[in-house]
Amino acid sequence: MRSEEFIDLLKEIMEIEDRDIRLETNLKEMSEYDSLVVLEIVALADENFGKHLAAKQITAVTTVKSLMEAIGMEHFE
Amino acid sequence: MTGGRVPIVDLADKSILVTGASSGIGRQCAIVFSKVGARVAIVGRNQSRIEETLAMMDKGTHQAFALDVTDYGSLEGMVSKAVENGGKLGGLVHAAGIEVTLPLGAMKPKTFENIFAVNVIAGFELARLASKKKYLPDDGAGFVFISSVMGTVGQPGKIGYSSSKGALLAGVRSLALELAPKKVRANCISPGLVETPMTDQMFANLPETSRQEIVAMHPLGLGHTTDVASMSAFLISAAGKWITGSNIVIDGGYSAR
Repeated sequence: MRSEEFIDLLKEIMEIEDRDIRLETNLKEMSEYDSLVVLEIVALADENFGKHLAAKQITAVTTVKSLMEAIGMEHFE
Repeated sequence: MTGGRVPIVDLADKSILVTGASSGIGRQCAIVFSKVGARVAIVGRNQSRIEETLAMMDKGTHQAFALDVTDYGSLEGMVSKAVENGGKLGGLVHAAGIEVTLPLGAMKPKTFENIFAVNVIAGFELARLASKKKYLPDDGAGFVFISSVMGTVGQPGKIGYSSSKGALLAGVRSLALELAPKKVRANCISPGLVETPMTDQMFANLPETSRQEIVAMHPLGLGHTTDVASMSAFLISAAGKWITGSNIVIDGGYSAR
């Protein structure tokens, strides 16, 4: 998946329409990034990449890039 | 004292079918029932895991069936064989269930369908089969459906799970009325959080702080599978013969707040 597509999916989950998210955006600083969004991201990773994110991995996530690394960079182009 | 002997929990000579017997509450029900004299037919998806359950049970005329309860077409064959070898079914426990913690945004129609298939439809389909005259003893039977406190109260991310468990609570009341003439009692048990492989898996997906919060919601701490299995035995036994259409909450005080 292209990283732009992944970012679009994240924006859709967090219902962000009025601003951009970049690879270096810190998700933890965003008010939309709550525990339910985290669960949705876990489901997204599972469904799209067959990657099961453990609680430890997802709590360590900060930026979009770190999320992508947790999922596995081999899934992105 | 009038009314004859006071019944204690005794399942001697009863033949009981238990789904979800590969682990957790279903497995514990099979073990407890075997200890109070029942002949148990256990059902689970995984052959080796149901054999593990069999090995943990007290010896007796038990049977193990490896099948997926949502493979509806295979259920009658299984029930018929269970009756042929173990006798007509005086009890049924539907403990097979799947837990999903997903926010509404990530829920798809298929996710709901998968949850309802196991948690609800398979249970009521087995009730339909087990209440047929050819599989039902003359003195009736006790059916127990393992619901959850989530069937009554809500929690974010539990729309699929809680709606399925609530469906059991609602369905069992109609079932109780419909099956009363056949002396079949139908009840639900609503456990709070019981330590099982299913809840371990749920916790694995949640941060440690969530785990602590959930444990703290249970004034008596988390439950054990024996807490639920003992009540199931009670409901199926003669001790529970005047209980039907009910929901027995066993939750360590979770819903007392």
